[in-house]
Amino acid sequence: MASVALSEAEKVYIVHGVQEDLRVDGRGCEDYRCVEVETDVVSNTSGSARVKLGHTDILVGVKAEMGTPKLEKPNEGYLEFFVDCSANATPEFEGRGGDDLGMEIANTLYRIFNNKGSIDLKSLCISPREHCWILYVDVLLLECGGNLFDAISIAVKAALFNTRIPRVRVLEDEEGSKDIELSDDPYDCIQLSVENVPCIVTLCKIGYRHVVDATLQEEACSLASLLVAVTSKGVVTCMRKVGKGSLDPESIFEMMETGKRVGKVLHTSLQSLLHKEESLGPKRQKVGFLG
Amino acid sequence: MPGDHRRIRGPEESQPPQLYAVGEDEEPAARDPTRLRPVYARAGLLSQAKGSAYLEAGGTKVLCAVSGPLQAEGGERGGGPAGTGGEAPAALRGRLLCDFRRAPFSGRRRRAPPGGGEERELALALQEALEPAVRLGRYPRAQLEVSALLLEDGGSALAAALTAAALALADAGIEMYDLVVGCGLSHTPGPSPTWLLDPTLLEEERAAASLTVALMPVLNQVAGLLGSGEGGPTESWAEAVRLGLEGCQRLYPVLQQCLVRAARRRGAAAPP
Repeated sequence: MASVALSEAEKVYIVHGVQEDLRVDGRGCEDYRCVEVETDVVSNTSGSARVKLGHTDILVGVKAEMGTPKLEKPNEGYLEFFVDCSANATPEFEGRGGDDLGMEIANTLYRIFNNKGSIDLKSLCISPREHCWILYVDVLLLECGGNLFDAISIAVKAALFNTRIPRVRVLEDEEGSKDIELSDDPYDCIQLSVENVPCIVTLCKIGYRHVVDATLQEEACSLASLLVAVTSKGVVTCMRKVGKGSLDPESIFEMMETGKRVGKVLHTSLQSLLHKEESLGPKRQKVGFLG
Repeated sequence: MPGDHRRIRGPEESQPPQLYAVGEDEEPAARDPTRLRPVYARAGLLSQAKGSAYLEAGGTKVLCAVSGPLQAEGGERGGGPAGTGGEAPAALRGRLLCDFRRAPFSGRRRRAPPGGGEERELALALQEALEPAVRLGRYPRAQLEVSALLLEDGGSALAAALTAAALALADAGIEMYDLVVGCGLSHTPGPSPTWLLDPTLLEEERAAASLTVALMPVLNQVAGLLGSGEGGPTESWAEAVRLGLEGCQRLYPVLQQCLVRAARRRGAAAPP
């Protein structure tokens, strides 16, 4: 992750402030920064979203392509994640520097989607054992300002909500050769249900308390964080300890509870925002990314 | 005439025959959810490594080797205030590089190394769990290389690898705050979901969720935590973490005995 050089005095200031539930920018320990979400920003994709969380800027594009299902799961499609930490985000990512972080984030995304509940993969199947939809979810890190995992998971959820997969039929000839037919109407699409897609909440341990949505400076003061992936119903799908330090078992339980609480609020606001944006339809004013 | 390998080509990809077998589902036997499989641990068995450990728990066999401290690649210049206890300043601290590998014959299907994303993820999990325990400040500008090799996967492979890696680090004489003990758990699906401690491969495959916990027993601090799946509400996960921590505490005396035996063996073998 991008690192910031902080003096001891600054670290002490941040830590003491957090003990009093007062962070450097005036937020409480459980408050998020202002989040801007916009969907349908890239026209060549099946779905896209841009999320701006403070100084963190993420762009996600989803492309749906047809392929063969995996051997162990012949009736389901699947998702493939790729995270690109571009050199624009921070100079440390120049060349191959960002690859490790990209792999880590992609592996975490695979993990949180690796259960039956998150996405209905059976709806991505066209014909069992032969054709299925593969959703390539590509995440681009444009700017790194702390709290990458949360922003990426919000962007992935928004992009999947925005994804429109064309309806396809497989026709069989008398000779048995199969032909794929795309429907003529460009608006005849399948929409995915993102009710159970989880969002990641990262809780950083600073001193004796933990904070949600840490900035780069706060992350430099924290030795250990807990990453919790929560669905809108409060079901936890993934838990991971991140960082060089260790955590007390009691603080882990407290952090899980905070994660669930904060996650539920995050989900309700994200859902209402996405539905509102969709209801505006083509009349919506587009801002675009880096705008 | 022997087969003409240039003209008669076999299929491009190969699959094991079990994939096409008609569902012969063996149900895992019902058992006490808090039972730990008997563990065999031995440290100091590889002659070429600074420290090594072999751990066997049920069907899971892990071999871990540690080499170092070696000179770190990519010099980093740094200053800053020195830590307490004569430790190097933060920028000059040592590095821990972990590598996790599965032998190709370790699982049901042959997996050629490099295994890709999964092995990198587990290597990162190993590193994040071992870093709190190792006093890296005492090895400035040096790197410690830990490599774990999974010979056979019989369930809770990451937990076994964590424990073996900590034993190997201790065997190598690396300064540590405490040992790291790992424990695996899995959540059975179905009508009465329960968390099972130290699952076998069969139980892990049928699980709805799995969790690996790493504990530093004396300090009672959680060094690592990695879990995923549809485990349910946070109370269920909290119960699983508690069960895992208890399992780690129970495992600790076995590891202490293993290190004592290894030290005795080393002392007896040393020339007078």
